[in-house]
Amino acid sequence: MGRTGIGRRRWIKGAAACALAPALLPRTSRAQNKMLLVNTWGGSFEEAQRLAYYGPFTEKHGVEIRPVSPMSFAKLKAQVQSRNYEWDVSSTGVVEFSLAMHEGLLEPIDLAALARADVPQNLILGNGVANMSLATVLTYRKDKFPNGGPASWADFWDVKRFPGTRSLYDRSHTSLAFALLADGVALDRLYPLDIERGFRKLGEIKPHIKVWWKEGAQSQQLMRDGEVDIMGMWNARAQELIDRGVPLEIVWNGAENYMGFWFVPKGTPRAALAWEFIAFATQPERQAAFCSRLPYGPSDPRAFAHIAPEVARKMPTAPEHLRASFSPDAAWLVPNLARLRERWAQWMAT
Amino acid sequence: MHAVAQRGGWRTETMAGGLMVAPAVLTIVALFLVPIGYVLMLSVSDPSWSLEHYRRLFTVPLYANVMLGTFRTALIVTLACLILGYPLAYVMARRNDAVAVILLVAVGSSFWTGFIVRTYAWLVILGNKGPVAAAYAFAGWGQPPQLLFTSFSATLGMTHILLPYMVLALYGVMRKIDPSYLRAAESLGARPFAAFRRVFLPLSLPGVVNGSVLVFTMCLGFYITPILLGTPKDMMISQLISQQIEDLLAWGFASAIATVLLAATVFLLALYNRFAGLDRLWG
Repeated sequence: MGRTGIGRRRWIKGAAACALAPALLPRTSRAQNKMLLVNTWGGSFEEAQRLAYYGPFTEKHGVEIRPVSPMSFAKLKAQVQSRNYEWDVSSTGVVEFSLAMHEGLLEPIDLAALARADVPQNLILGNGVANMSLATVLTYRKDKFPNGGPASWADFWDVKRFPGTRSLYDRSHTSLAFALLADGVALDRLYPLDIERGFRKLGEIKPHIKVWWKEGAQSQQLMRDGEVDIMGMWNARAQELIDRGVPLEIVWNGAENYMGFWFVPKGTPRAALAWEFIAFATQPERQAAFCSRLPYGPSDPRAFAHIAPEVARKMPTAPEHLRASFSPDAAWLVPNLARLRERWAQWMAT
Repeated sequence: MHAVAQRGGWRTETMAGGLMVAPAVLTIVALFLVPIGYVLMLSVSDPSWSLEHYRRLFTVPLYANVMLGTFRTALIVTLACLILGYPLAYVMARRNDAVAVILLVAVGSSFWTGFIVRTYAWLVILGNKGPVAAAYAFAGWGQPPQLLFTSFSATLGMTHILLPYMVLALYGVMRKIDPSYLRAAESLGARPFAAFRRVFLPLSLPGVVNGSVLVFTMCLGFYITPILLGTPKDMMISQLISQQIEDLLAWGFASAIATVLLAATVFLLALYNRFAGLDRLWG
């Protein structure tokens, strides 16, 4: 019995070593495969990324790009905690990005790789690189307002002058900012948000909000089917409807413009390659190629040199749009987010 | 090894028995107890060891209100499914003709259609370009009352999605009731309704219990349907859990909400077990 016991222990040790060996080696073996996992929304978003980023990157660096969808913010935390990486690169809006940084979930930036690619300093924020901007804009159905619709958030609040069904995004800081604009706060004075004043003003419009939308596809269905006449919605979703023939007007006055950021989950074995990819994708020509296909705005103004003027006019970062819009202050929001969302949910439920 | 085998049959038997249930026990431990234990631990340890999450849960009125609302909604949906599903299952189980087959196929095809698709279908049906609005316009009644984005439409959507579970649970039990019992009752002088009430109904109760518990517990976890069809007042507790996980990365607080939901559900099932017996679930 004794002898076999030792033998079994030895056998277990040997088996464990065999099982662990691949786990101890991945850095070298995977790097040799030259493969990178990029998180994406899928669909037309992935297609645009494939043409603008994946294809040219593979051609230049011989690295295969494998897209992984959908995007999930919670998955970032799960990956970093379990050290089991389903993707090496992703991007998200400034608020979520800042929250992830605050939670210590992001890989430090590879300054050398970014410097080699000549990425401007002002695109770098903490552990990420600005890639494109997105906007939440006032939109309305032109067929409901043939003589001109609402032109500001104050008009959105004016239910007598602009009768019609309304909808807002179920997102606390976005809707509070719109309410404050409607109440006369200047664009550059929005942050830090005056929460009390914002909720007071929101109380005026609450009975007139037919639905608080939560999903992009839902917002489109509501506008397309004429369920809602006036809505604060994502510019890219609105533009997609316009391109399909839905009579929508986008009002850039008072738009919430927020930057998206590339980031790398902390501890991924392919981090070096991931920063190489991010540096490549931040090039003005690459940004122009992506933003020409989808109505997002390039983070680097030099990209506009490669974008047709009529396409540039639809982008959140077009200079005249930037002048009329505001950006959320992530540094103020992150520590206040949990409290704000709790109060928001409470306010919505009563 | 030989020694064990020689030392008496009962020992090998218990060992063999133990080995035979081992996969089942391991599966339950690995797939249920470990994750639940992890959630329990997270609720007091993330981001640091404390009972702060529970204090917040019980002091901020939002959470208790949404929890109560969730149980109320689940109860209403369960009753609606039962009222609609019982006659349907009865017809399906008692007939042996084409009608029964057609009904079974109808329930089955609804069962196999994705619930997102069925939720969006209600957006169209109740929408201002849908058949309900068209019928109102055709009848000259003008604008229909607002049906979408009300508690009514949220309840309707959830009832529609969960109805097949109720019907199939009832059907399975009703099918096994021997029709000769009813004939016997009638031959002893019971009128059809008395035969139903005193023979069929009691025999079908396991199906009622089974279907109700199934629908009720599934409804507690509903998420997307009330979001798309209802109002913010119809918020279900899973929305709050999801917001904590997906938007705020606050897994500790999310785990605390999930733990309270689980405890409340277990408490209800225990109450139910005290008065009706959980073993009825299995027919």
